[in-house]
Amino acid sequence: MSTKGGVQYSKIAEIKGPLVIVDGVENAAFDELVEIETNEGEKRLGKVLEVGNGKAIVQVFEGTTGLSVSGTNAKFVGKVMEMPVSEQVLGRVFDGLGRPKDGLPDPVASSFLDINGAPMNPEQREYPKDFIQTGVSVIDGMLTLVRGQKLPIFSGSGMSHNILAAQIARQASVVGTSDEFAVVFAAIGVQYSEAEYFRRSLEESGALKRSVLFLNLADDPAIERIITPRVALTVAEYLAYDLGMHVLVILTDMTNYAEALREISAAREEVPGRKGYPGYLYTDLSTIYERAGRLKGKNGSVTQMPILSMPSDDITHPIPDLTGYITEGQIVLGRDLFRQGVYPPVNILMSLSRIMKDGIGDGRTRADHQEVSNQNYDAYSRAQEVRALAGIVGKAGLTDVDLNYMNFGDEFENKFLTQAIDENRTIEETLGLQWSTISNLPKNELTKVKDKFIEQYYKE
Amino acid sequence: MVAQGRIVWVSGPAVRADGMSDAKMYETVSVGDAKLIGEVIRLTGDVAFIQVYESTSGLKPGEPVVGTGNPLSVLLGPGIIGQIYDGIQRPLKDLADKSGSFIGRGITTTPVDMTKKYHFTPTVSVGDEIEPGNIIGTVPESSLIEHKILVPPNHVGGKITKIVSEGDYDLETEIAVVEKDGQTVPLKMYHKWPVRSPRPYLKRYDPTIPLLTGQRVIDTFFPLAKGGTGSIPGAFGTGKTVTLHQIAKWADSQVVVYIGCGERGNEMTEVLVEFPELKDPRTGKPLMDRTVLVANTSNMPVAAREASIYTGVTIAEYYRDMGYDVVLVADSTSRWAEALREMSGRLEEMPAEEGYPSYLASRLAEFYERAGRVRASGSPERDGSVSLVGAVSPSGGDFTEPVTTHTMRFIKTFWALDAKLAYSRHYPSINWMNSYSGYLADIAKWWSENISDDWLKLRGETYGILQREDTLKEIVRLLGPEALPDEEKLILEVARMIKIGILQQNSFDDVDTYCSPEKQFKLMKLLVDFYNQGQQALKDGAALADIRAMPVIASLLKARMEVKDDEMDKLEKIQNEMVEQFKNVTGVKVSN
Amino acid sequence: MPSLTDLSLEKTVDQVLEKNRSQLLESLKSSFSESQGKLSESLSELEKEYDKIISEGQKEAEKIEKQIVGSSDLEVRNKALLLIEEHTAKVFEKAKDQIQNTKRDSNYSNLISSLITEATEALGISEIIVYTNSKDKEVVQSAISKISGAEFSSEEIDCMGGIKITSKDGSMTFDNTIDARFERMKPLIRKNIAAEFNLGN
Repeated sequence: MSTKGGVQYSKIAEIKGPLVIVDGVENAAFDELVEIETNEGEKRLGKVLEVGNGKAIVQVFEGTTGLSVSGTNAKFVGKVMEMPVSEQVLGRVFDGLGRPKDGLPDPVASSFLDINGAPMNPEQREYPKDFIQTGVSVIDGMLTLVRGQKLPIFSGSGMSHNILAAQIARQASVVGTSDEFAVVFAAIGVQYSEAEYFRRSLEESGALKRSVLFLNLADDPAIERIITPRVALTVAEYLAYDLGMHVLVILTDMTNYAEALREISAAREEVPGRKGYPGYLYTDLSTIYERAGRLKGKNGSVTQMPILSMPSDDITHPIPDLTGYITEGQIVLGRDLFRQGVYPPVNILMSLSRIMKDGIGDGRTRADHQEVSNQNYDAYSRAQEVRALAGIVGKAGLTDVDLNYMNFGDEFENKFLTQAIDENRTIEETLGLQWSTISNLPKNELTKVKDKFIEQYYKE
Repeated sequence: MVAQGRIVWVSGPAVRADGMSDAKMYETVSVGDAKLIGEVIRLTGDVAFIQVYESTSGLKPGEPVVGTGNPLSVLLGPGIIGQIYDGIQRPLKDLADKSGSFIGRGITTTPVDMTKKYHFTPTVSVGDEIEPGNIIGTVPESSLIEHKILVPPNHVGGKITKIVSEGDYDLETEIAVVEKDGQTVPLKMYHKWPVRSPRPYLKRYDPTIPLLTGQRVIDTFFPLAKGGTGSIPGAFGTGKTVTLHQIAKWADSQVVVYIGCGERGNEMTEVLVEFPELKDPRTGKPLMDRTVLVANTSNMPVAAREASIYTGVTIAEYYRDMGYDVVLVADSTSRWAEALREMSGRLEEMPAEEGYPSYLASRLAEFYERAGRVRASGSPERDGSVSLVGAVSPSGGDFTEPVTTHTMRFIKTFWALDAKLAYSRHYPSINWMNSYSGYLADIAKWWSENISDDWLKLRGETYGILQREDTLKEIVRLLGPEALPDEEKLILEVARMIKIGILQQNSFDDVDTYCSPEKQFKLMKLLVDFYNQGQQALKDGAALADIRAMPVIASLLKARMEVKDDEMDKLEKIQNEMVEQFKNVTGVKVSN
Repeated sequence: MPSLTDLSLEKTVDQVLEKNRSQLLESLKSSFSESQGKLSESLSELEKEYDKIISEGQKEAEKIEKQIVGSSDLEVRNKALLLIEEHTAKVFEKAKDQIQNTKRDSNYSNLISSLITEATEALGISEIIVYTNSKDKEVVQSAISKISGAEFSSEEIDCMGGIKITSKDGSMTFDNTIDARFERMKPLIRKNIAAEFNLGN
């Protein structure tokens, strides 16, 4: 941390949207932190987006409402934005810019870290391979979460994504280790009730003391949302790589983040990409999501579970689309299942965990895990086709095998997928349920599992 | 005279500096007090527009910019194989040694260890006349690669007046001296080459040899040729990266250059962890001993992402010039195009479609034009090839977006990934109706010489069944399957078997991950035989339900996983069982 | 790297700290035993709670145990945080007193000169106006007499010491009062104070 002061400028050339353009600037750096002081002495924070030819474009996190061209001062602080970190951040609640929101003092910092982080050297990454048991069958069985993975939940407005994320945060454990576990929760423009649900859920499970909360609520400044995931991840990296903890980071809702980014881009009059989002949305999102991982020679890990609500449930919308290209899979919630009252309403066909294969199998979960999971995918996909067919020709037009698939589909949704909010299933229970469901099918339909597993686990 | 200017403006990776009238286009420059690496991409008066390959956070107007006088180049010499580089050929391992787990800034390194000694064996003698491209000696580089020391393409040539004897030398040693017109030029084991210029060669061949990847849907249905170009577009989750990894693992080339361009960090780690453990199926040596990685992940600076493609292809051409077959895999060209778009936006150029610059198409064309099977310059005579495979990540999975449509103009093999197939866990999710290969006719000769004369015919029959199924599916969708006669129901049945037994391939299964050309051919023949015998059986009065219930079907479908490449006799056994069982189903009918 | 002036600031704080250490430790100790008491209190409370709900199921009981232990742990910790903050503030107050009463000797003149140089360099111009408080007026005036382009403002500002400079058109300001430096150093000093009591980490 630098203690050098910065120059304060009072010539404001223009204020537009979230931007303040300061004139006569001789000594400012790209990305530098800026303190804006209003006529009334109120202080706001911002950062330099562009500097040169005597001008600096400053993005004001708390918005420009109430700022005027005369009387507003901009002080260039001489450093980039930093977050004070120490073990004391655990059990604390901060606002979207990382300032205490719980009435307690600033944490006494053991370091001050640049909230932008630095790109992890790919050569220094440790490949994620430790299975995290979430106790949720559909995830453990078919969308296995692995330490250091980034696995988002793609949801739609009103669906049960927060309940699912909270259940995962409460139940997540790595079987057979005593390593310390922490939760970092970043609320990005969500309603108070949703953030409160999460906080209470952590409190009730006694996990609050190993959690850190960052809250930018729906009525908090929108531009602040650019910072919220970054301060949260800075703290998560500290807990993981300096203190050796396994950190689960929940970011909700990334759609609000992307919208704040779009607002800034529009104010800068940049050439827009799809749906008005800036062309660099992919790169920008990656600087958040790629902060998940494990490092060689370090104990801890950062596992990310970003949540985003797909506008109009459209998975091809730029936000879920670009997210899906960066994250290691996605958990997609389905409107149909949600309407049917299924919890968790995971549409497994559209969902995927990319590094599942490395976290499961002999020695981690069980040797047949991948194959029984593949067979369930295959069968569920077939069951959906049969259901569609039954809609045309009626049940009478179906063959016996088709009917087997119908039964499979029902049992899959009602017994395997459906689970209570506080039900914590072991991996053995989950695998058992997977075999029960596919045992609705005759043996010769099981083309994805080896004969030896059929002999061992098939339920006649 | 090198340029020495001052920064006047900074915005993200883009920097303007004045006092730069001595700078040249595409010259590399050192930017700011932190000595960041940048490249001049536009000159207006004495103002240079610079793209910076490192994070510009904290950079201030007024800080110095100093030219290097050289265009962005790669160092070509022994020690490249097995490395993992960033977009501008800095070894990531060295970066880690200097700045730890996270990538720092302003770090200078050498692309290879200049002090390591290699065992050099000269292949020329004093008095020999040499030309650009000639091999003057060899060096063992890895268990798989013998590195040929080349006279640089831009060398004037001349007479060897000195050559070191066989022995161990480091890269800075003068191993030879060449004289021409009274001038002497020393040669070392390495030279530099500007990345944006293709390396010269003598002549180009038509691509007639298949690049075998061990992936059935590729080799059998939509093959790539050595020196050819292919593209693999697909929405996220369609298994693009897995397919590319499979190509990088199993392609029958001698060198693989894998460029992770704006993609996930963990994917590069996966390659780094897996490749040293995997054995090349032809030589039994670790795959890493033929692989070079260029990793500029999505969160690394965007300008270096733009450079990474050129860095990779120049390295590929260098090994081609030694006479090797090289496969270059670029994942993903869309992220490279986005980097172009971002810099173009900061340059305030007039945008074309979706904000991409108007030169997107010509840049793509230039890149794919660097593929080819060629006779290398210089002696001794040798042929090498660079095959290019580029992933495309169309936004929203929409194949009409600019990067996909422009790419399609410049490539000959198109593997269209299909989200619907991926959702039903049909992997690789290459859609057989939308994909194509322009090399089919060119490489048919190889198959008939090496595997069977029937290859092209059987491939046509198999593909025909899939095409028939595609038409029939429409009817089924409207009327249900019962509306079809038995012969057509059998088509649906066999098409399903082709999909499960041939098109699908499990890259995580030890046996199925790689399929030899012979096994590919035999599996295809089995299924075509099944189809023909099935149609015959129906004509002879067999019931479709009995055919469907034949136990041999499960064996046929699992053969890809259960029969190893060296167990072709097991396929004979399945063939015999099939004939037997068809006899039974017709026999039962007759006895009734 | 802390500059010369930062070091002298830190020295002052250290001195104050030295004087207050025993007092601080004493009160921290007592507050910790108070917190510990609270924890054991809540544990006995927990036992009562436990009996009451044991019939409602072990699972529920475990949940509540976790919750109560979790929140009392947190409560204890948060109380300690507030305490440290309270004492830190005291240290700061004392340090400020000491600074305010520093002798305006030759050392102080050197400090003022370096503050002015630093501020001028940051602005990057030589045509400046210098502000200070009533106490430092003379020291500052003599310091800027050697600097061409620097003008002394008779307008006094409210601060412990040090200077503030602006460009002549008033568009640029650099605040180099002791107060401003103190604020900038505060997080680092807090860290040092906490470290004294082994609580920083």
